[in-house]
Amino acid sequence: MSKVLTSVKIAGAVIALGGIVCLILAPLIGGSLSDSLWALEPLTYIGAALLVAGLGVALASYARAEQQARSADGSNGHQQGNSWSETTLQYFQLFDHDLGRPLRRIAGKERELRAVLQAAPGEADAGVVDLLDEIERQTPNFRLMMSNIQVLIQLESPDIEESLQPVEPSEIVRRIADLYTAVAAEAGKEITWWSEPTEMGLVYANSNAIEHIVTNLVDNAVRYATTHVEVKLTNNPSHFFVRVWDDGPGIGSQYVQHLFDRGWTPEVVRREEKSSSGLGLFIARSLARQLGGDLTVETDDNSDGDHHTAFLLSLPSNLSAQPNGFR
Amino acid sequence: MGAKINGPGSENPKMARANPVRKILIVDDESESAILRAVRRRLEEEGWEATVVQPETGYSLGEEFEAAALWSIEQSLPDAVLLDVRFGEHRDDQFRGLRILGELVDRWPKLPILMFTQYSQGQDRETAVRGSLQWDSPVDFIDKLASPDEVVLRLRRLIGVSPEAIPIGNHILVDVSTRQVFVGVGEGRTEALEIQGMKFEIFRELAASWYRSPGELVAFSRLERYSEGENPRASLRVRIREIKDAIGKAMNMRFGPSELILNVRDQGYRLVPPKS
Repeated sequence: MSKVLTSVKIAGAVIALGGIVCLILAPLIGGSLSDSLWALEPLTYIGAALLVAGLGVALASYARAEQQARSADGSNGHQQGNSWSETTLQYFQLFDHDLGRPLRRIAGKERELRAVLQAAPGEADAGVVDLLDEIERQTPNFRLMMSNIQVLIQLESPDIEESLQPVEPSEIVRRIADLYTAVAAEAGKEITWWSEPTEMGLVYANSNAIEHIVTNLVDNAVRYATTHVEVKLTNNPSHFFVRVWDDGPGIGSQYVQHLFDRGWTPEVVRREEKSSSGLGLFIARSLARQLGGDLTVETDDNSDGDHHTAFLLSLPSNLSAQPNGFR
Repeated sequence: MGAKINGPGSENPKMARANPVRKILIVDDESESAILRAVRRRLEEEGWEATVVQPETGYSLGEEFEAAALWSIEQSLPDAVLLDVRFGEHRDDQFRGLRILGELVDRWPKLPILMFTQYSQGQDRETAVRGSLQWDSPVDFIDKLASPDEVVLRLRRLIGVSPEAIPIGNHILVDVSTRQVFVGVGEGRTEALEIQGMKFEIFRELAASWYRSPGELVAFSRLERYSEGENPRASLRVRIREIKDAIGKAMNMRFGPSELILNVRDQGYRLVPPKS
């Protein structure tokens, strides 16, 4: 469509140019052919008409192109189209890299200091160790926040498509459990994960998306758990499921409906300062649905009973739609 | 052409006695950064030998690193490579590591490679992962902000060799080759004699799973192979209790229900190293 509009614009410009040429030629021709003035008047009229028509065509094609760009972005509230999102993503990746550099230095120095303290046990103040733990805890937070924003840009860019790849879900869950095991241990909590069946094998999915969704769920679970987080991977012939359970206080039924709202956090209700962006669950469910799956929650906030929260991610295995080129 | 290989080559004596030293080659232009130093320290604690590739010319150019990495691998035949993606600020070197990855996979398709990078997610990783899947090579990506423990876990899985001895925390050592479990440290280390036969197999399964991924549970179905009788679940429960008692006795302590071996209801067991 954009090619047609470009052709129309060029045609309009050519017609308008023809009109200008005619208007310029008219008096020149008129001057040299004084006894043929009859030829001058029509040429002027034709030139003027062509100029008006050409400008009209060109303006109309510009207006049409503008309208198309708006309608393409309308559903997402963007100001620009495809190129905007690509450019934003590129800038963001650069930004992420540059922000990561000082953070790597901070994390590196923190680890060096920890090594120095370990070499001289008993001499360090407990408060110093707590501070180091806090820096270490914030590192996965930073990784997740950066990842959330990147995924959000991609999610809201309809032209960026990710293809299906062969993925081993148990390997993804294992990685995330490894990442959060140390974080949880520092807070006196445990993460246990397992797969049923033990050898689940490959599915065809978007590994970035799965990793992103499950990371958000485990991050939340570790934050709100009292002592335990469990991550269980199961499957049926058409789908695979990741259940992330924590023994935290649970979520009141009046809040469950807002859980997946963009920007909602429990602090919003308590009118306190937000401890997170509130984007994680919104992005997680949007991604799950975009991939043909879903993300649901089951929770119990009964203080006397078995209070807990369990998120269930279900995604299609796409085993019948495996793309060519992969083993 | 040549390259200088820098590496302390020190190893944890406790581990070195039991396991062969794994050689890990580090290809990163920021090898002296605090992050890399912490990783190298952790690799050495693991009993592995971390060597750092540095081009002889001293330039941080991707091309120099590429040539030096290939030369070093030919010379030292490492067990795994830790490879950066970005080498310096030059535009051509922004994804130089992916090019080096391609070269390595082409020449040594079975060599485990862990990409240690800021670009551990997104399109660039996907491009490389897709390539590596087609090459059928052991390649993984990890974020540069990952903890040194995570780096070691990934390398363990990439190298894929079960160790001959698995240290669990500071006080327990499972010697897989001699089928013995030792408790204590230094001169005070003693063998937990009660852990033999089926009990050793159960404990070895739990230890091996913990070694690969500390949070991974071992399902009942896998452990019940080492149980007998009409009720293998009950028999397993008894053996687990006996293992905990034997290790607790050697350590002069008693383990509670959520200590050393954790039971996850209706699912299985998981090892939890005792707090030192």
